[in-house]
Amino acid sequence: MGPTSAVVAIVVILVETSLVVWLLFHRARGGRAQRLLEGRLRFEALLAELSAKLIHVDAGDLDAALEGALQQMIAFLGVDRGNLDEYVAAASGIRVSYAGPGIAELPSILLAHEQFPWTAATVRGGGVVRFSRAAELPAEAKTDRESYARLGTRSHLSIPLRAGGPMLGVLSFDSVRDDRTWPDELVDRLRLLSEAFASALERKRMELSLAERLRETARLRHELTHIGRVSALGELTASLAHELNQPLTAILNNAQVAQRFLGTDVPNLPEVREILNDIVADDRRATEVIRRLRGLLRKDPPEQVPLDINDVVSAVADVIRHDMGVRNVPMTLQPASGLPMVRGDRVQLQQVVLNMVLNGLEAMREPNGRDPALVIRTSRAGPSSVSVAVEDSGTGVEMRDIDRLFESLYTTKVDGLGMGLAIARAIVDAHGGRLQASNNAAGGATFEFTLPVDVEQRS
Amino acid sequence: MMASAPTVFIVDDDASVRTSVTRLVASAGYAVRAFVSAREFLACAPAAGPCCVVLDVRMPGLTGLDLQQALANATHRSAIVFITGHGDVAMSVRAMKAGAVDFLTKPFESEDLLDAIQRALAKDTHDLGTEARMTEIRQRVSRLTSRETEVFALVVTGMLNKQIAAALGIGEKTVKVHRARVMEKMRAGSVAELVRLADAVGVIAAKT
Repeated sequence: MGPTSAVVAIVVILVETSLVVWLLFHRARGGRAQRLLEGRLRFEALLAELSAKLIHVDAGDLDAALEGALQQMIAFLGVDRGNLDEYVAAASGIRVSYAGPGIAELPSILLAHEQFPWTAATVRGGGVVRFSRAAELPAEAKTDRESYARLGTRSHLSIPLRAGGPMLGVLSFDSVRDDRTWPDELVDRLRLLSEAFASALERKRMELSLAERLRETARLRHELTHIGRVSALGELTASLAHELNQPLTAILNNAQVAQRFLGTDVPNLPEVREILNDIVADDRRATEVIRRLRGLLRKDPPEQVPLDINDVVSAVADVIRHDMGVRNVPMTLQPASGLPMVRGDRVQLQQVVLNMVLNGLEAMREPNGRDPALVIRTSRAGPSSVSVAVEDSGTGVEMRDIDRLFESLYTTKVDGLGMGLAIARAIVDAHGGRLQASNNAAGGATFEFTLPVDVEQRS
Repeated sequence: MMASAPTVFIVDDDASVRTSVTRLVASAGYAVRAFVSAREFLACAPAAGPCCVVLDVRMPGLTGLDLQQALANATHRSAIVFITGHGDVAMSVRAMKAGAVDFLTKPFESEDLLDAIQRALAKDTHDLGTEARMTEIRQRVSRLTSRETEVFALVVTGMLNKQIAAALGIGEKTVKVHRARVMEKMRAGSVAELVRLADAVGVIAAKT
């Protein structure tokens, strides 16, 4: 082999070597790039998956969803612990925290802001806090640095949670076993994720406040209904006081007569016994008046139970019977027999009947040439509804008023709240029924409401 | 005058109250008659002796105040003690102005009712005396002839015989005769007494 072949051999070796090196180098580079690419793809897929999950989650399941998402992120990033903290006016909102085995949880940097004043201020201002080593923190973050050191934090990343609006909280990741970097690209991706978290939180807040508002509306409606009932009973106060005074008068008289009897030399014991029996009976009678009143004034939340509409009507009749007597208005009850049950709130439906009766009495207050009379009738209104009608012989309803009758605060009465019929209609509507008014051929008006038959009873 | 035992009428639509008040009043030694309604009470024969009414204000049908009015219209003497479950001022003023003895709000002390009944009976006893006297005077008036009645009505206005004669178109002597008969039948000793009698039964002078 001549010098030329030796040179060629060296060149070939060199070329081969460099090829191998090049190939090796490229293979290495290709593998890394591929891994990077794969990692990125997996990350993107995870972000997409988590975002989708958070968008569709119900407000009630949000805590669990956030916890799952955080765990997946912590596992994916290979950090040791992480937090997702909702920030609600200095109080703790949702707090999801996860820490690897044997590692203490990271406190919320927003709630424990006295330990992390600089970090908290930065995040609240919408900035990201990230460091690979605590030494990277600026001089003014001295307290933060000490806190991180105490907690064993080596690297940390905190991203504010916001979805266009105000800051809703913070997403923090923390590494205690080794230092790690937080490349811009990663931070950008995590910002996207934090937006998904933030909008889920925001949605939950809105749903909560909507639910809150609905609850408040229901509460106010309930309150108003109760006020209506109290004011309706207020119109009966005089006669109710009278009804209570009767037994009380009898009890006092009887007791004092008994005392007189017992003060004599030969007490008339059979008479005293009779007196005591009367006292007991009158006491029961007073108790019954109060029980009926209490039944109507009850302020329990409304409940839907199967009801016999005739029971509802007769309970009202019991309360007003005395008043009708004093007003000299004969009251006739005409309950239909064999009516199917309806479903509803007993007290509210009693209130409807009471309001209709009071309305009828009001219409008959001024003499109008017809004898006052009130008829309360129940009947079957159709295959799946029953009706209650209150017929008076009063002045009737002005046809031009008829549409306004059920508006709240509309009243032709001098001393009415103008709520009675509006409340009655609202209650009937809520029960799936209809309340309407019409004039009678012979004078006066009839107010009638229908209620659907309890579904379990329908034939 | 106290020939018959005092009677207490009780009018209350409430059975418990009616029974207990009846018991109370009877235990105090009075004769008691109880009624469910004003109408029932009005239908019954009035008591001959002194009596009073314990009356519930609020009752179906005729109320207590209606009954008080009806009794007054019938110029029936009445001593009424009102009992009410709901004593409003206007109502009690109306009742008292119309001559009620008392107005008690339920529930009341039995002693208060018995006191009121006592006062009501005293008033009625007095009224009964007045009533008896009135009946007596009316009887005297009824014995006058129509001409005597005319003369009576004019004498009490202070007219002289001559004026009366002119007014009635009769002779003065005739007037004198009638006048003497009137004084005798009315058992009046003087014109002044005749005027009092006329006043008591309300003989109004026929102004011409």
